[in-house]
Amino acid sequence: MTPCPAFDDCHSRRHLLAGAARAGLGVAILDAVAGAVTGTAGAAPPAADFGNVICLFMKGALSHIDTFDPKPGRDEQGETEVIQTAVPGVSFGGSMTRLAARADRLAVVRSLSTETGAHEQGIYTMRTAYAPLGSIQHPALGAWALHAAGKKSRELPGYVLVGNGNEHPGAGFLDPKLSPVPVADPRLGLENTRRPAYLSQTNFERRLALADRIDRDFRRAYAGPQVEAYNQMVAEAIRLLGSDDLAAFDLSREPAAVRSRYGDTPFAQGCLLARRLVEAGVRFVEVEFGGWDMHRELFAELPAKAAQLDAAMATLLDDLADRGLLASTLVVLVSEFGRSPRINENAGRDHHPAVFSAVLAGKGIRGGVVHGASDERGHSPAADGVSVADFNTTIAAAAGLPYEREFFAPNGRPFKIGGGGKPIATVLA
Amino acid sequence: MFVRPRPHTQRGRTAILTLAVVGILAGLAVGAGAAEKRVPARRRAAAAQGRLPPAVTDAPATTNLVVAPVDRSRRATVAAAAAAIDRLVEAGWQERGLEGSRALDDARYVRRMYLELGGRIPTHEETVTFFDDRAADKRAELVDRLLESPDYVSHLYNYWADILRLTERPQKNLYCEPYLDWVKRSIAANRPFDEWVREMLTADGKTWENPAVGFQLRDQGMPLPYVDNTVRVFLGTQIGCAQCHDHPFDSWTQHQFYELAAFTAGTQAGAGGKLPKEQRRQALTDPVVRSVRGLMAEARRSARDGKVDNQFLQFLQANGTIVSHHTAALALPHDYKYDDAKPLDVVAPRVLWGEVPSGAAGADGREHFAAWLTARDNRQFARTIANRLWKKVMGVGLVNPVDDFRAANPPSHPELLEHLTDLVLDLDFDLREYLRVLVSTATFARRAVPHDPTVDSPFAFTGPALKRMTAEQLWDSILTLVATDPEDYQRPRTEEFAAAAELDLTRGKVTLAQAQEAYQRFVAAFGPRQTRLQLVKEYGYHGQVLARASELPTPLPLGHFLRQFGQSDRESIEGGRTVATIPQILAMFNGSITHAMLERGSALHTEVMADDPRRAVDVIFLAILSHRPSAEDRQFAIQEITSAETPATGVGNVIWALLNTREFLFIQ
Repeated sequence: MTPCPAFDDCHSRRHLLAGAARAGLGVAILDAVAGAVTGTAGAAPPAADFGNVICLFMKGALSHIDTFDPKPGRDEQGETEVIQTAVPGVSFGGSMTRLAARADRLAVVRSLSTETGAHEQGIYTMRTAYAPLGSIQHPALGAWALHAAGKKSRELPGYVLVGNGNEHPGAGFLDPKLSPVPVADPRLGLENTRRPAYLSQTNFERRLALADRIDRDFRRAYAGPQVEAYNQMVAEAIRLLGSDDLAAFDLSREPAAVRSRYGDTPFAQGCLLARRLVEAGVRFVEVEFGGWDMHRELFAELPAKAAQLDAAMATLLDDLADRGLLASTLVVLVSEFGRSPRINENAGRDHHPAVFSAVLAGKGIRGGVVHGASDERGHSPAADGVSVADFNTTIAAAAGLPYEREFFAPNGRPFKIGGGGKPIATVLA
Repeated sequence: MFVRPRPHTQRGRTAILTLAVVGILAGLAVGAGAAEKRVPARRRAAAAQGRLPPAVTDAPATTNLVVAPVDRSRRATVAAAAAAIDRLVEAGWQERGLEGSRALDDARYVRRMYLELGGRIPTHEETVTFFDDRAADKRAELVDRLLESPDYVSHLYNYWADILRLTERPQKNLYCEPYLDWVKRSIAANRPFDEWVREMLTADGKTWENPAVGFQLRDQGMPLPYVDNTVRVFLGTQIGCAQCHDHPFDSWTQHQFYELAAFTAGTQAGAGGKLPKEQRRQALTDPVVRSVRGLMAEARRSARDGKVDNQFLQFLQANGTIVSHHTAALALPHDYKYDDAKPLDVVAPRVLWGEVPSGAAGADGREHFAAWLTARDNRQFARTIANRLWKKVMGVGLVNPVDDFRAANPPSHPELLEHLTDLVLDLDFDLREYLRVLVSTATFARRAVPHDPTVDSPFAFTGPALKRMTAEQLWDSILTLVATDPEDYQRPRTEEFAAAAELDLTRGKVTLAQAQEAYQRFVAAFGPRQTRLQLVKEYGYHGQVLARASELPTPLPLGHFLRQFGQSDRESIEGGRTVATIPQILAMFNGSITHAMLERGSALHTEVMADDPRRAVDVIFLAILSHRPSAEDRQFAIQEITSAETPATGVGNVIWALLNTREFLFIQ
């Protein structure tokens, strides 16, 4: 049980860490903790102008024709109505009423295309701007953002994913602690942050110290990226438990009126959580909304789901604007690919990577703009085609990340944030 | 969660024996010893009852699962086959100037083998029994015993559940419990893999009449994804991108994809939803399907306020979901853009390589497809499973990802891969025997090697790659510390399910009222909500169902411990992951499941009822980490127990600490 002379700043930090240190918490953990606080060796200098990003990811592939790129009067439009937006000459699918009313704040990209029609690869490519490779794991954009710009809050994570962490590329080849903290259910927030009632702070610290000590030989013998990832997560978890900002994860502190304005669905509550987190200093929040893979009965299923999306995203934009956060927060709506113009025999639409749409708003974005167009059937780009790398580079540019800079992976290969694409000038403010 | 707000009254110098009375958690909360006696008798009795469900803390019940016995007389053959593999692996080291990692000692060996073949850590008793066994062939005996245990069936079920995306309800109107039970029993019976796959690809009927239809139903109504997924799983080849266009990086064309899909395009499943014109005509010739559709129409008509109970309709649909195959034409998409054919051309079925075996001549397209895919001379079928199971055991495939064989992604050890393919064929697709060989190699009995795919590839197999336990291994290992009867709950058997789900439509007319009555009976027995409530009632601990991962309904909610640790969502093939996240650490720190073994009656708790801290420490180490502590760690842990507020507190701290080591999570 040695005190920690080497860690002067642990006395000025949260009582937990100080206590843990007094209890003889191992050097390995404290090193990682200290490193996380002061910035990691090898991380890039902070980007001056980086704000926040909220990325709404529509998993399963959102139909572009039924939402942001309708084809009025064509057979391909099927049963989905077409409505006029606040921007003359621009129309949306019938469920997007609130976003249509706010179209002057949105930049719609209608000429995105991707290389793959398989979900997992498509999602990976959209999140990392690189096609999956067996030999390397690319970092997701949020991990790049933290790598380039650093965390804002000492204890809170910099990157949160509301949804399923499984197929997320996470930090890729960057430091594991840059990977997103998954929150399974926004309504429950981050679970298990409270000690069991029987357990005193002192005993908790004793436990940590004991675990650290007993585990030393193993950590030394099997040092490598997998064990290191867990070392970092343990350090991050301890820091998080010492945070006074954990309330940011607790939606029950939000007025009932605000909660109901977003909508009583997991996705809507996820959007609200994203706002709370950004407000508290989390840089990058991804909110997943699954279930768009409508191979069957699309016209029966899509309207209700699209209405949830419409209400939640519109409320998020209003809420951010009301709080003065929209100027510093980029909001992105994206999907892995689109859905076929052809309506199949099961009244559904199949995968369609050839063209699809995405939406940007907030920081760095010029509102009321449509970039690119699909052809008359919604099948292929007709003008100003945008690749996944171009789109990711645009996000990076709008958010204020150094998208032209080269970063090197452990294998020596160079990578750029956003995949080395060309930012779309027309949508940038 | 663990609310026991009683003041800590006295710092008792109590024997650990106290633990026997109230459990470590309760012991911590009430203080121990003298303090204990002041707790009113009634409350003490309640505490003594503990909170663990008796169903898992009683003596193990005999299981109805019959596992095929392992042939001990083949041990020499297995050893020779293992040695041949070692020679090929070691030849690779010599080329690169590498040496094997250290051979495993008994402690690491017994833990590795239980996890690899049984999906859980060994109990304290199993570990000590293995240590004390002086027989020369004790390692081979352990392998054989594990391969014929219910643990093996549970573990391999989890493995296949991840690959086959097993879920009770792939769509709301598809009742696939019988299929899940059938997969489990096929593993127990150790059916030859080729026969097993052929049956899945060609099965006809309702799920509870012929559960193997579940495989075809997984992608019901999506004939193109079905072919894509089937080829990916069994031939390790991704042709899915060619669904939309010719793949720029691979050799498969959209035309070839459609030609392959043409074999199975005529497979249908009856009453579910809207049907394409051609299929509707065929489906309606079936009297059961006609009755179901009639009942559904009647239910809609008679519904009050136009509100029809969708779950009742789904129940009816499930009764009319009868997989069958008919001849049907598959046409190219209307936007087909290549020169070798025109849009909407009907494509003739054709396989990707080789020929349809002549023995299948005369059979229908689906039979042709299955015969070709599983044929002995379609080496890619054997090669794919050989590589998959190699990855399961050694941690890294010879081809990675295991479902992406193509010219630009060659094997790291081509000769070894062909050797393993031959072995699978020589064993007539006896996969358990193949696993028996792999785990009998010297390569597998070496210490794990940390692996960084971005730096050191190809992996040289100087030992198996270091793996974090899968979510299921971790859950089942924790359960091993908690439950003396972890297998008490078994997922529903096909016969039970059939009895509840079957609406007999073959003998005369069933009225709407009769159908609704049958539906109510079904819901009471197998409705998702009712099932959950029943499970929590019998097996619940703080809302968690204490049953093996293989028996829990899937997919589990995203916040469940198993999902936090990366269990698949059952949507993507092999969607399970083992990457680190902060919520995992928080669950290990503070979650209820990692405290269950501190309750009275838990397997571990019963074991640490020693009055000697030294013995308690040894038992805790053996139970959690499968080895005795080093002299230094022992001293440290004993000191923790004797210097803590109470010995019970100290014991709780040591148990918690061991669970929260990396060593516990990883397989050395």
